[in-house]
Amino acid sequence: MNDLTDNMAVEPGASPEAAQHQGRQPGRLLIEAKGIRRSYKIGDRTLDILHGVDLNLRQGERLCLMGASGSGKTTLLNILGLLDKPTKGQVSVQGLDGWSLSTAKRAELRNNHIGYVFQFYHLFAELNALENTLLPAMLKHGFWAYQARKKQYKERALELLHRFGLEGRLKHRPGKLSGGEQQRVAIARALLLDPPILIADEPTGNLDRATGETVLQLLFQEQEQRNLGLLLVTHDESLASRCDRVLHMEDGIIQSASDQPTPG
Amino acid sequence: MYRYFLSARYIIMRPINWIGTLSIFVAVSALILILAIMTGFLEESRKHLRGHLSDLVVTPTFDIPIHSLRAYPSRDTQGILAEIEKHPGVVGAAAQLVYPGMLVPPHSERIMTNPNAMGMVMVNFLGVDIPAEYGATSLLEDLKKEVMVGPFDQRPDDLDDPFAYPEDYYPVEDARPRDPILMGEKLAAIWGMRKGSELELATATLDPETGAFLQAGNRRVVVVGTFRSSFNEMDLSRIYLPREVLADWLGRPGQYSQVVVKLQNYERDNKSIISDLRVDLSSAGYIHPDPEKPGFAEFPWELQTWENSRGSMLAAIENERALLGIMLGLVLLVAGFGVFAILSMMVSEKRRDIGILTALGATPRGILTLFLAIGGIEALVGMALGVLAGVTAAHNINGIEAWLSNAFGYQIFDRDIYYFDHIPTVVELSGIVAIASASVLTALIAAAVPSLRAAYLNPVDALRYE
Repeated sequence: MNDLTDNMAVEPGASPEAAQHQGRQPGRLLIEAKGIRRSYKIGDRTLDILHGVDLNLRQGERLCLMGASGSGKTTLLNILGLLDKPTKGQVSVQGLDGWSLSTAKRAELRNNHIGYVFQFYHLFAELNALENTLLPAMLKHGFWAYQARKKQYKERALELLHRFGLEGRLKHRPGKLSGGEQQRVAIARALLLDPPILIADEPTGNLDRATGETVLQLLFQEQEQRNLGLLLVTHDESLASRCDRVLHMEDGIIQSASDQPTPG
Repeated sequence: MYRYFLSARYIIMRPINWIGTLSIFVAVSALILILAIMTGFLEESRKHLRGHLSDLVVTPTFDIPIHSLRAYPSRDTQGILAEIEKHPGVVGAAAQLVYPGMLVPPHSERIMTNPNAMGMVMVNFLGVDIPAEYGATSLLEDLKKEVMVGPFDQRPDDLDDPFAYPEDYYPVEDARPRDPILMGEKLAAIWGMRKGSELELATATLDPETGAFLQAGNRRVVVVGTFRSSFNEMDLSRIYLPREVLADWLGRPGQYSQVVVKLQNYERDNKSIISDLRVDLSSAGYIHPDPEKPGFAEFPWELQTWENSRGSMLAAIENERALLGIMLGLVLLVAGFGVFAILSMMVSEKRRDIGILTALGATPRGILTLFLAIGGIEALVGMALGVLAGVTAAHNINGIEAWLSNAFGYQIFDRDIYYFDHIPTVVELSGIVAIASASVLTALIAAAVPSLRAAYLNPVDALRYE
């Protein structure tokens, strides 16, 4: 991977200077999206979802993406996470153009560099909490290579789950876990391989306020400790207020951006 | 790693997956069992037919002149036997006189009352020379076999001279002893005959001058013993007489109609000996000219192996085996469809998981192999259990048949029909390997379609699926 240092490029709506004002050093560029367009063909019609979006995510940055349903934020998130190919535009992750890579390399990039947290947790019903957490490591290695590192990964997974207060729930399957517990397992899974990027799609959208707050604190705490670039999609204004930057999407474009005071 | 881990976990946690395994299991075990039984029948039948017919049969066509010589084939019995026996691979040769006729039992009104009897009236008289016949066919073994049908002690008193009269035999009507015959024990049982019983044989012969039928009259004979070959139909239609007796009766003293030949090693030598004999016998004038000369193609049946003369029957069993194989192959297709259906259902159910896996870094190839592995594991487990069950059932088929017959009160395998005292089975390794690999291949092909669908699922659509 190219270890890109910050090229000090000015981002839409936010500048490194802004971050400097808040007493934080802007990190290196993790995701750089330029002129992203996405349209779908439905019969004879072409439906444009994104109309040229530019977006950067830096190390240590907490970026919030807000917008009404249908504004294109999930589509943008999928494109930034290399799950969906833009009709036009370029997405670089860690300095690598995601869609010029082979399928296998792109998968490797997702596996090693991006952690996902979904609104509906998306845990495997057949696996217990510990196994769900270990899944990215199983995806990373072949059978023998995994066996050789199994102990190490297991220790890391146990450490994460302990830290998230799930030490008594290791052998429980998702069906036996509460929503908050499931989301904590999902966060542990996303962090297992220590990726520099964390993408969270409405991580508290399916939780009650108190549980949501616990999960959020956990997420922010890990983000800070690990100096991750966090890309957060939410409807929640109060949650947005705790991010470094907020991008408002409307009809497939970023309408406004605002820098926020550093939380805490 | 995740492919092995998740495929094993999906199979264990979702009992419905075992339906695919079950369908492969049923297909494989049924295929192995049926194939074992059909192969057993084929082998047993071949063994029985071969024993009865001897290895080679020479049947000169006496009423058609030999082309090149413009002469009829020679009827010299000793000459043809000597010509055949001089070949090193020949163990024994015997001249037989075969002629069709009728059986007229003492209570001939039975013909009207016994519906089964109608077909048993027409028989073949087989005039044989005893020491030579023993050397070339299985008659001696057939006479030694334990009696299965009818009264005990029906075999001839003296196997060295089976046509000798029983000790307690006294001619009924006058002092002249009747001509001795040997008949199948089942035929004897149907007609109520036993050792010492007298009956009449009837036939009609051709006038050698005009070719017209002449009434040759009836001949009263006495049953001196019964035999049992392993071929039901032959036992019901074959009456052995001394050859000179039959030849006298037919007005053809010293004549024969065919020569049966036994070889030392049939499998190895039959082709080479047949071609040698064809040349020697045709040049000596006992059969029509050899293949090199024109006209031979009209008489290929003059020298045949037992397989040729029973070809249609062997072919019928072989054909049945092939047909059953095809039909059971369809069972395999249905089993493959079972795997396809179960896996398709699973791919639909697991769309979300496929999306998550892609998001976590799985490649389409990885997802393809994950689902192929599920189909493969199902097939391997079903195949292994099927082979085990099929082979076990094939080895214990007689016990199973006895138990089923007992339980349902119906004789599933009628020993009288097939004339086997057990259901023959032969388990061939090549057959098992073929069935096993075909089943796994079918399952993998069936699994490939849903697996490909899973591999190329759009992760965005998959993740949206709730």
